[in-house]
Amino acid sequence: MLIFQLLALVGLAAGLFGIYLRYAETKRRALPIDKSPVKGNIPHGIAYAFTTGMMPWAKESTRIHLIAYLRGIGFHIGIFTAIGTVILSPLWGFLPPLLSSTLFWVLIPGALLGAAGGLMRLAEHNLRGLSLPDDHFAVWLTTLFIAVTGLGLVFEAFVVPMYIVSAVTFAYIPLGKIRHCLYFFFSRTFFGKFFGRRAVFPHGTPYREALK
Amino acid sequence: MTETIELALKTLEAQLNQPLETALEACARCGICAEACHYYRAEPKVEHIPAYRAEQLRNVYRYEHDFISRLFPVWTRAKKLDETTLANLTEIAFSQCTLCRRCTVNCPLGVDTPLMMRAIRAMATAAGTAPEILIMLADAAIEKGKDPSFYKEMFLEQIADMEKQLRDITGDENATIPVEKQGAKILYVPLAGAHTILPPAVVFNAAQEDWTLSIFEASNYGVFLADVNRAKQVAKRIVDEANRLGVEEIVISECGHAYACYRWDVPNWFAGQFDFKVRSLIEVLAGYISDGKIKVDPTAIPGSVTYHDSCNLARNGGLLEEPRYVLKSIVRDFREMTPNKAEALCCGGGGGIVALAEYAERRIAAGKPKADQIKSTGARTVVAACENCRLQIGDLNEHYNLNIHVTALTDLVVQAMRLPKPLPGMEAEHLFEGEQVEVPR
Ligand code: SF4
Ligand code: SF4
Repeated sequence: MLIFQLLALVGLAAGLFGIYLRYAETKRRALPIDKSPVKGNIPHGIAYAFTTGMMPWAKESTRIHLIAYLRGIGFHIGIFTAIGTVILSPLWGFLPPLLSSTLFWVLIPGALLGAAGGLMRLAEHNLRGLSLPDDHFAVWLTTLFIAVTGLGLVFEAFVVPMYIVSAVTFAYIPLGKIRHCLYFFFSRTFFGKFFGRRAVFPHGTPYREALK
Repeated sequence: MTETIELALKTLEAQLNQPLETALEACARCGICAEACHYYRAEPKVEHIPAYRAEQLRNVYRYEHDFISRLFPVWTRAKKLDETTLANLTEIAFSQCTLCRRCTVNCPLGVDTPLMMRAIRAMATAAGTAPEILIMLADAAIEKGKDPSFYKEMFLEQIADMEKQLRDITGDENATIPVEKQGAKILYVPLAGAHTILPPAVVFNAAQEDWTLSIFEASNYGVFLADVNRAKQVAKRIVDEANRLGVEEIVISECGHAYACYRWDVPNWFAGQFDFKVRSLIEVLAGYISDGKIKVDPTAIPGSVTYHDSCNLARNGGLLEEPRYVLKSIVRDFREMTPNKAEALCCGGGGGIVALAEYAERRIAAGKPKADQIKSTGARTVVAACENCRLQIGDLNEHYNLNIHVTALTDLVVQAMRLPKPLPGMEAEHLFEGEQVEVPR
C-alpha cells in the first residue's frame, strides 16, 4: 500500500510543481497597470466576480443552461472533495462515520455528474465541435478519479486503483485542460477589476454616485 | 516562415501579457457562452460560438507555447501559423466579432474573448492582412492632425453657417459655437457632420457652459485595428489640443468607441500628459438636467421610446443609468428592451464593421436579434447614443421593416427643451408618424 501512497504523493508533488511553474510563467508576463480614473469600485468588482457573479441567476447563459451549469458545479465540488479525500486517506480510519458517508455521497454524485458531462461532450453537437481530445480525456480521467476515490472510501479493493488514478490525475493537471483551475482565479480577478473599475458590476451604481 | 507570419507571431508575443495568457488558458470549452453572442443567436452554428472563435487563436498559441501540444498537436488541435490560418483569423476577428464583451459577462470563468480578437486584429494589422479601409481611415486622421490648417478654413466656414442655424433654433442672438477658445472649461469633440455639433451646441448654450469645439473628430479607427501606435497618433491630436487650450475636461460626442478610447485607453497611453477629465456627452446631459441647468419638458416626447445600450458605453463603459435618467426626464412612455444594460444585446454594428462594406450582409444578419428585440418593445423611437449603433439600427430598420425612428439622445433632449424652432430633421410632426404632437412655439 505504501508504494501506491508514495506514487500518489509523487503525482501530487509533480502536479503542484507543474502548476507552480505555470503560475510563475504567467506572473512573469507583464501586468498592465490601468491608469484610467476609476468610476466604480474595484474591490467590490472582484468580490462580485467570485461571489454573486457566480450565482446561476447572475448571467443569462447560466439561466439558459441552468442544468449544465449546476452539473458542472456538482462535478467540480466532486473533484475538490476527491482531492481532499485522497490527501486525508492515511487518516480514513479516524474519520467519524458521518463524515465518511458524507464524503461518499458527495463523491458518487460528483462522478455521475462528471460522466454526464463526458457523455454530453460526445453527444451534444456544439460541445462535440468545441471539444479537443484533451477535453474528453480530462473529463473522463477526473470522473474516474472521483469515482474510485468514493468507492475507495467504502471498498478496500478500490484503494490501490484510487492511488494509481490519483497519481495520473495530479500529474496531468498542469499538462492539459485541467490547468484551467489555476486560470479561473486570474480570469475572475481580471473580470472583477475591469468591470468594477467601470462601474458595470456589481449592478446598480446609483445615478448620483455614477455622476461623480 | 514568411515575413508576414513572422510579423504576426512577433505581434502575438509582444501582446502576451497576464490578461491575454489568462484568456488563452482559462476556457473550459463548456459552450455555455454560445447564446451570448448575437452571431450565434442569428445563426446557431458551432463556428459562431465565442469559444470556437477564440480556439482558432488558441490553436496557434498552443503550438508556440505548450510543450504537450508541440509533441502531439492532434491532442489540442495545435496548429503552426501559416498564411491560410492567418487569413482565417483575420476574417473571424474583423467580421465575426464586434468586441462587444457579452460573452465575457456570460462566461462562468470570465474569459475575455474580445481581448483575443483584439490580439488577432493587432497581428493582422502588423502582418498587413487587416482591412485596407480601416487603415486608410486611421492614416487619414493622422495626416489631418499633422496639418490641420489645410482644412481648418473650410471647417470654420461651416461652423459659421451652423452658428446661424443655432441662433435661429434657439432664438438667441448671442448663441455661439466657439472654436479653439483658450482656457475654456470643456473641449467638446464631435464626430464628422453637423448632426453631432448643432444639437450639443444648443445644449451648451442653454446651460451657459464655458465650452469650445474641437477641430478634430472623436472617431479613432486605430482602435478598431487594435493598433496602439496608430490609435495613439489619432488620439494625440485631441490630447495636444486640450493641453494647448488648457481645458478642464474633454467631452466626447455620442460615440461608443471614441468614449471607450478617451475614457479608458488614452489615460494609459498618455500617462503624465493627461490630467483632464473625460466625460461622455450623455453624462453632461444628465448633469445639466439634474442640476436644472437646462429646462426640459417631461411631457415633451409623447411617443413610445426605447434605448439601445451601446456595448462600449454600457457593458464596457458603465454608462448604464445616465442615459435612462435623461430619457425618463423627457419621455412619457419609456420602454426597456429585454435584456438591457450590462446584458444588452449588441446591435451587430460595433468593432468597426459598419465601415467594412464587404461584410454588410453578415452585419445585417447578425443584427437580427437586436431587430427582434426592438420590435418586441413596440416602441416607435429608438435612441442610440453611438453613431455606429445608429447606422446599424438604421440599416436594420430598413432591412427588417421595423418602422422606427432612430435618433441620438441629444436630439431628443433638444426637442424637449421646447425651443422656438426644431433641429433640422427633427420636426416633431415628422418624428412621430401618425401621432399628433403639440409643440408650443
Ligand atoms: S468562453 Fe467561457 S463559457 Fe465559453 S466555452 Fe469557454 S469557459 Fe465556457
Ligand atoms: S465579443 Fe461579442 S461578438 Fe465577439 S464573440 Fe463575444 S459575444 Fe460574440
